[in-house]
Amino acid sequence: MTSVLVARALAPAIHRTLKQIIQNGTITKFHNYVKVIQVAVPQHQRRLYSEKKVFERNKPHCNVGTIGHVDHGKTTLTAAITKVLADQKLAKLRQYADIDNAPEEKARGITINVAHIEYQTENRHYGHTDCPGHADYIKNMITGAAQMDGAILVVAATDGVMPQTREHLLLAKQIGVKHVVVFINKVDAADKEMVELVEMEIRELLTEMGFDGDNIPIVAGSALCALEGKSPEIGSEAILKLLKEVDNYIPTPVRELDKPFLLPVEHTYSIPGRGTVVTGRLERGVVKKGMECEFVGYNKTLKSTVTGVEMFHQILEEAQAGDQVGALVRGLKRDDVKRGMVMAKPGTVKSHDHIESQVYILSKEEGGRSKPFTSYIQLQMFCRTWDCPAQVILPDKEMVMPGEDAKLILKLMRPMVLEEGQRFTLRDGSQTLGTGVVSKTLPTLTEQERLELTEGKKAREKKQAQAK
Amino acid sequence: MLFIKTFTRSICTGKYSFAAEKSLLAALRKKTGYTFANCKKALEMHDNDLNRAELWLKSQAQALGWSKATKLEGRHTAQGLIGVAVNQYSGVMVEVNCETDFVARNKEFQSMVEDATKCCLRYIESQQKPQENVAKFSLDTEQLKGLHSENDGKSLADKLALMIGTVGENATLKQGLGLKTCEGIHLVGYAHPAGHVENGLQLGKLGGLLAYRSLGEGNDHIEIAKGICQHIVGMRPTKIGNNDDKPAPNKDEETCLIHQEYLLDDSVTVKELLEQNQLEIVDFKRLECGEIVSSIGKQPLEFVETCQ
Repeated sequence: MTSVLVARALAPAIHRTLKQIIQNGTITKFHNYVKVIQVAVPQHQRRLYSEKKVFERNKPHCNVGTIGHVDHGKTTLTAAITKVLADQKLAKLRQYADIDNAPEEKARGITINVAHIEYQTENRHYGHTDCPGHADYIKNMITGAAQMDGAILVVAATDGVMPQTREHLLLAKQIGVKHVVVFINKVDAADKEMVELVEMEIRELLTEMGFDGDNIPIVAGSALCALEGKSPEIGSEAILKLLKEVDNYIPTPVRELDKPFLLPVEHTYSIPGRGTVVTGRLERGVVKKGMECEFVGYNKTLKSTVTGVEMFHQILEEAQAGDQVGALVRGLKRDDVKRGMVMAKPGTVKSHDHIESQVYILSKEEGGRSKPFTSYIQLQMFCRTWDCPAQVILPDKEMVMPGEDAKLILKLMRPMVLEEGQRFTLRDGSQTLGTGVVSKTLPTLTEQERLELTEGKKAREKKQAQAK
Repeated sequence: MLFIKTFTRSICTGKYSFAAEKSLLAALRKKTGYTFANCKKALEMHDNDLNRAELWLKSQAQALGWSKATKLEGRHTAQGLIGVAVNQYSGVMVEVNCETDFVARNKEFQSMVEDATKCCLRYIESQQKPQENVAKFSLDTEQLKGLHSENDGKSLADKLALMIGTVGENATLKQGLGLKTCEGIHLVGYAHPAGHVENGLQLGKLGGLLAYRSLGEGNDHIEIAKGICQHIVGMRPTKIGNNDDKPAPNKDEETCLIHQEYLLDDSVTVKELLEQNQLEIVDFKRLECGEIVSSIGKQPLEFVETCQ
């Protein structure tokens, strides 16, 4: 009885604070400002349902990964980073053995290796991944399981650059990592001259591979010393210096919210007395009443203005990325706009019908098809809210087996909105074949090439025979 | 930085170079490609005499490779390449494994697989031709190690150790498969992903060998046979099959080669294709890199393969 009374008495106060909190939350614009929510939850209550710590999103997040030879100390470096940062209460110490992929995880067949280490510096929060192999990483990249914003290349001073370091950098290039920071490890076992020579060698190789070899930060140190707490000048200090370089050199990825707005159209409605409304999930950016917009897709580009934004039949001051919204647009008929088109800030998106992509083809066990395929196969490409038949050309393989990744050139039957880094799915009839990411947009197909798309196999062979 | 660079370069290229230790180390490393630690040791042992140090390194390379190889021996190798080579009546597939696929993409490793495949092919060539049909040879790790290269007379085991010394990763000569045919039976090989073809030698993650007989006159249909070999690699049939075998009810689960839809033209089955071109398949072999050949009971946990 008393508790009820107390609760009653406190209710208005709690109500008020909650209101304030909600208001604060909207003003600061941190969507998941978990810290705020944490304040609202009393300490003793939290323990009731879970012992888990609540993630604090108060720093920008960045994904990094280590690449390098198996014996050059990638795992030791990761352990050292957590140790040095744990001393500053910015990370949880991970032992070498914890970081190495647990065999149980392997046995269960978890094929996607997500970032399994987290730590933070003064400025940023990091997710840290290790790259076990080329094919595995490509698969993770394509499916979107792990995206690296930057990489740390680890080279041992005792060995120098290994023959396969070239392949490591090639991978970084292929997955679109433009920012690499180098850590020369094991300097405790080498002398100063050797370290300098290794540095020179790395810069040379980086330049050769198309990176900015002269300006890439290179830090020399010993992860082992840092881990054991010995000679801090090459141990913990070197690790801190490396993290500082990572902080400075690898840029924070632009958040979806800060990009120009884009809304894939799901449905269009005609509302008597008001006009045409398009609905969909705002993929990125912010939309407000009065903004200029452009509808692109199906060979059309239509200009218009947003005259109102609504969510759940309520007027919205501004819609933010992730919101499911309806937008009232001026001067367009319902039939002008179709599902599959994209509403975007004028001039920010373009239609393409010819692209280069990296695709992972699902194996039979993953629900893909059992047979390999060759060039000229026609597949249905699904992306955002549209789908379109596309012809596949294999530029550097004769066939693609299920479970493999491959570079595909896709020629679409009609131009649709596409951009680099866009993910899509390929299907054949009722079966999903694989998933891919656009790596490059190619020049639009000519009229002749477009006609050739619909040509049958016989016609193609005839033409080839004639050419000979 | 730029200063140091130009400075060292001038020393390296200059005719009257100073006997600076650093430039010597750089020069030795550049010339031989051995690890910095070893180059340094070599220079220290020979009073900074570049030529003698280089000779010593070369003589030591084999021993160093071996010690590295023994050190890494226990590590699991699941990646790698298959070399496929065919010469008239002899055909081979050799599987060489390594730890990461980065190494499998490297030139050093690829040339090692090429060497192994060539050695193996020579061994098969030296074997007696069978009286009829096809003779099969299977080589295990030990047998492969004992083969000697034609060029420098080194054994494959030595070459493998050298390669391990350079890339610093464990590698194994897993297995070799050879086919030897009699007169009138042709052989064709295919490796996937195709691309690198050099004097009849192909490298890939998957390999296939096909022995076939041409029943028609003159034309030996090499292109069609290659297509069928690609089909075998891609569609993984388990047997050739004969007229007694009934086609499987589900086309996608067909494991009998002649009833499968032809990979490069799904309007015909392989059987129809063979009839059209008057070909007869005598035998085929298919090899997948990292494939477990014989199931040895329960696998230890750390060897369970995933795509990690």
